[in-house]
Amino acid sequence: MILERKPTTASTDTPPPRSPVAVSLLRFEEVSKWYGPVLALNQVWFPLAGGITGLVGANGSGKSTLIKLAVGLVKPTIGRVTVLGVDAANWQAHRLVGYCPDHDAFYEDLSGRAFLRTMAALNGMSTKAAADRTEAVLDRVGMSDRADRKLRGYSKGMRQRIKLAQALLHDPALLILDEPLGGVDPIGRQELVEVFRSLAAAGKALLISSHELEELERLTSDVIILARGRIADRGSVSDIRDRLENFPLTVRIDVPEPRALARLLLADMFPEVLGCDLLAGDPTALLVRILRPRTFFAAFARLVIEQELEVARFEPLDDSAHAVLGYLLGGSGKT
Amino acid sequence: MTPTDALLRYRPWTGEFRPPICASWAMARSSLRLMMRRKLFWALYALAALIFFFFFYGQYLVVWIQLQTANQSVPVLGINVRIGDFLKFLDRLNLNGSAHTFGNFIWFQGYISTIVLAMAGAVLIGNDFHHGSLPFYLAKPIDKRHYLLGKILGIGLFVNLLTTLPALILYFQAGLLYDWQTYYFEHLRELVGILAYGLLLTCSLGLLLTATAVWVKRTVPLIMIWAGLFVLCRMLGNFLVDGQRFDERWRLIDLWNDLYLVGLWCLGADPITDRAGPQPQPWEALLVIVAVGLLSAAFLRNRIQGVEVVS
Repeated sequence: MILERKPTTASTDTPPPRSPVAVSLLRFEEVSKWYGPVLALNQVWFPLAGGITGLVGANGSGKSTLIKLAVGLVKPTIGRVTVLGVDAANWQAHRLVGYCPDHDAFYEDLSGRAFLRTMAALNGMSTKAAADRTEAVLDRVGMSDRADRKLRGYSKGMRQRIKLAQALLHDPALLILDEPLGGVDPIGRQELVEVFRSLAAAGKALLISSHELEELERLTSDVIILARGRIADRGSVSDIRDRLENFPLTVRIDVPEPRALARLLLADMFPEVLGCDLLAGDPTALLVRILRPRTFFAAFARLVIEQELEVARFEPLDDSAHAVLGYLLGGSGKT
Repeated sequence: MTPTDALLRYRPWTGEFRPPICASWAMARSSLRLMMRRKLFWALYALAALIFFFFFYGQYLVVWIQLQTANQSVPVLGINVRIGDFLKFLDRLNLNGSAHTFGNFIWFQGYISTIVLAMAGAVLIGNDFHHGSLPFYLAKPIDKRHYLLGKILGIGLFVNLLTTLPALILYFQAGLLYDWQTYYFEHLRELVGILAYGLLLTCSLGLLLTATAVWVKRTVPLIMIWAGLFVLCRMLGNFLVDGQRFDERWRLIDLWNDLYLVGLWCLGADPITDRAGPQPQPWEALLVIVAVGLLSAAFLRNRIQGVEVVS
């Protein structure tokens, strides 16, 4: 089942309360994109204000197309993409957008500093301003001391930082980052996450596409899930979970007598329980497949009190963005 | 500024942006810098410098011989040869500040620049498409016109540094060697011709290189295509016209010859006096060049449709 966001839904049109920006920076209006006979994006509609928004989806879900449309690298077949009211494909809209692509094809003969200066000049900065701004962003991404090396000698993490730096050069209101944490070591990742947070705190809007769902969950509570060219859902992972009450959830419960607990759970008083499995190799573990988790959790809490059960462990096994995505993709999606 | 920003030394940009046309200039400078970084190309630049100095000192030598030592003789292999006889040899090279001097010079220098461009095309343009770095550029506040302009401007800068600029130096040198008070006025057509020839090379080679580099993307196929265009087509044209006595219009398939014919026409020189065999009319050559340019432009338009990155 694919949940669709309708164009008239008030909830998506309302800017998130944490946003310091009042208007939609980026706006998709009934956007569809065909590549020949292939429908890459299907009637996508969403506004983006300030703060960090995550973009997740399986391969072929339309993530890259959505990002290219937002940056103005491709035009929609139907619909409209605007950045502060300006057509995203217009060069003037590019003044407001910083784009960090997932691939890192540079002029390898250039140093990081020379590359950034060229990029700054492409942004319309004078030579002096380009030099000043280059130093500022190099400092920002922690590359000042390594910027004179040729790009071909950079590690994956350094290349990610340079890509981020070139996106920050013109101080855009909207940053679109495609897999910005890929290949970055844990320390560098934490540093970049801090940079993202500070940019969001400074009023920037960040649209971050990532396969690192756990990282994204920690970074933002606003996640757009794309599936088969449509926005399957938007919100925090837990909100999405709430809307997915009818999707099964597996819970691990460790008790001294799991067989007895299974009998209780499969009785009529727990209609939410679909089935129980004993975990091989662990005589105390019981895997319970349920629907409507909130109702089940409340009922199970009562059962624990009434039966004085000794519960050593109670853990939803798939309460993560991966699982949500899996449900949305009908179990076929890979992340 | 938030405390976090202060901590991370965040400095928002508050300056003024220049129009996107300036980005084309930045792209051109970047292209030029890339070509200058390749050590392999410096051998060709040295060859170009040799050609320039040959013309530069050749012009000087001709004038010096005429003025100072025309009646003297020097021993060559034990035989006394009048220095004036050297002039007959040098006259064939047209080292006399005439239209043919500049035409020949640009012909030779143009070949060097064409070889370098064939080798540099993949680095300058092909890689943007082959490795997918085009989004870096098109995501900046420019559109595809500025991108193409920047690339063609970069190619033009390089071509003119090797052809037009030294040709202008030769022109001013000729004026100083002869009578500068009359030379510059009497040879104004040559000055305009040098500039027009440079513009012609810039536009035609710029569009052609961009189109072929976008098409084949890699160095070896690009060199093969350019070798086909500028060497094989030239040989075929000569074979058909000189060998098989076909109509001289068959020589129009030789694009380099077409550029030369139009260049000589711009310089005000008669191509018949300089070229062996029958030649097509300059306007016919111009038509071919315009057609090639339009085809290249149409191809580029389709390849980078709107702002769409097709790779």
